Amino acid sequence: MSNHLIWWGFGIYTALSLYVAYLSRSGKELTMSGYFLGNRKMNGFVSALSYSATTYSAFMMVGLSGLTYKGGVGALGFEMIYFAGVSLVAFFGPRFWLAGKKYGYVTPSEMLGDRYDNKLVAVVISLSSCIFLIPYSAVQLAGVGYLVEGMTNGGISFTTGVIIATILAIVFSFIAGIRSVMWTDSLQALLMIIASTTVVILVIQGLGGFGEFFANLEKDHPESLTVPGNGFWSLATFISMTVPWVFFSLSNPQVSQRLFMPSSPKSLRGMLMGFLAFGFIYTLVSVLWGFSALSIFPGLDNPDMATPSLLASKFVPPVLGIIVMVAIIAAAISTIDSILLTLASLFARDVYGNLKQNVDEKRQLAIGKIIMPIIAILAFIFAKMQLNLIGVLSVASSAGLTVAIPAIIGVFFWKKGTAAGVISSVIVGGLLVLILEFTKSKPLNLGSGVWGLLISTILFIGISLITKAPTRKAEDFMGYIKKEIKTQFTK
Amino acid sequence: MEKKESFWIILCGLLILLAYIIPYTVLTDVVKWYGSFLLWLLLGLVIIVVNFVITKDWRS
Repeated sequence: MSNHLIWWGFGIYTALSLYVAYLSRSGKELTMSGYFLGNRKMNGFVSALSYSATTYSAFMMVGLSGLTYKGGVGALGFEMIYFAGVSLVAFFGPRFWLAGKKYGYVTPSEMLGDRYDNKLVAVVISLSSCIFLIPYSAVQLAGVGYLVEGMTNGGISFTTGVIIATILAIVFSFIAGIRSVMWTDSLQALLMIIASTTVVILVIQGLGGFGEFFANLEKDHPESLTVPGNGFWSLATFISMTVPWVFFSLSNPQVSQRLFMPSSPKSLRGMLMGFLAFGFIYTLVSVLWGFSALSIFPGLDNPDMATPSLLASKFVPPVLGIIVMVAIIAAAISTIDSILLTLASLFARDVYGNLKQNVDEKRQLAIGKIIMPIIAILAFIFAKMQLNLIGVLSVASSAGLTVAIPAIIGVFFWKKGTAAGVISSVIVGGLLVLILEFTKSKPLNLGSGVWGLLISTILFIGISLITKAPTRKAEDFMGYIKKEIKTQFTK
Repeated sequence: MEKKESFWIILCGLLILLAYIIPYTVLTDVVKWYGSFLLWLLLGLVIIVVNFVITKDWRS
């Protein structure tokens, strides 16, 4: 594929996105909730597209199709179990939304700090989010690098791809905060779904239609249609990879923060249902994509090259190949810019705002804007390390965030939860995940996310029971939510 | 948590549990598109319907 055409593709995408970002501005935002939450006035449609673009990253079309290529249909199960886990939004969404509106929370960790009546809770959870989400962003950047290098046969280097993605992510989040992120996300989500679906339809047709496509898989790669199949998706691996992802919609602040933003319960519903429609199609497309690559190029050394190889194949017209490449880059950038924005808000509000005395909104906002490019550069350095299998690393990052799940559930459902319980569960659970990842240990063949969640649950409950809970705060908070759910979310 | 809400959360939990159990038991030898592939797609569709019903009273 000619580099010339690819640069044109990049250029048009960048110009269009910058224009949309520019249009999204609505005067100068001087408050944290204005810049980071769009003043809690986002509509359902934009929220849905942006939630989708933020959740689904380069991981889907590069990593998930790579996992399908490597291990078969288990990749679909893995992603569908994540998808089913988004149902948590139907239960926790109204609660986050109501709490955010009443108490003015800007970040999920701020909510935890207030509910458990201890600022250190917010500091610890925010720092742990930074530790685990920066590698996650790096995975996305590396995805862009692999893609451009693979599609141009090295004509555009891994490093150039990563640099472009980093700069665009910084610019999109800078122009108007969450507003520019959400509007560029929406554009990018539409590009992602239209381009990827078109390719899959073309490739499956090129391979003789749906019937023949699966008949060939059954004949040439029968192990790809079952689990454990060729052994990659052993039950232990499947459990280890899915458990952190079931809780993704609550454990990852860049998506759970979105629960504060919709303008009404109706918009919240629009966000959830729109995401589910998008996610279902996108998951199916990414898995079929991996199967297509398996049919056409069965002998690739690196499964992450399945997508670039498919896009450079004869089944995909060059212009469409470029559009899809740009769509995958857009998928990565739309995830990274949301993470940048969320981490900046966490740092400014919960770390800086709590550790330093008398920090006003304006100062927090200024700190947030300074920290964004610093986080992006850290992610860039991780990406340059060129770690191997994107899918596996991405799961490892989300494992570390899963340890906050007991504390998050406790916010709404357990009056006896305490700050000491939260802090110990998040620190010990997080350290355990890091140790298991660094030593590549898998006790009983189960991954770090499963052990992290188990230990953090035991610690949260155990330590909470022997320490004093903020009963009054818990009763006010939970009482308010119980009452308002009845009036605003039921008939 | 309301009774109705508890019902839906248990249903979602059961659906997710089945999505682990069935492919690793009855479908391990079904080398067809209508094996695990179809089962997991159906899980996704049922989840969409369940969420649609749970959220039907969320108004502006």
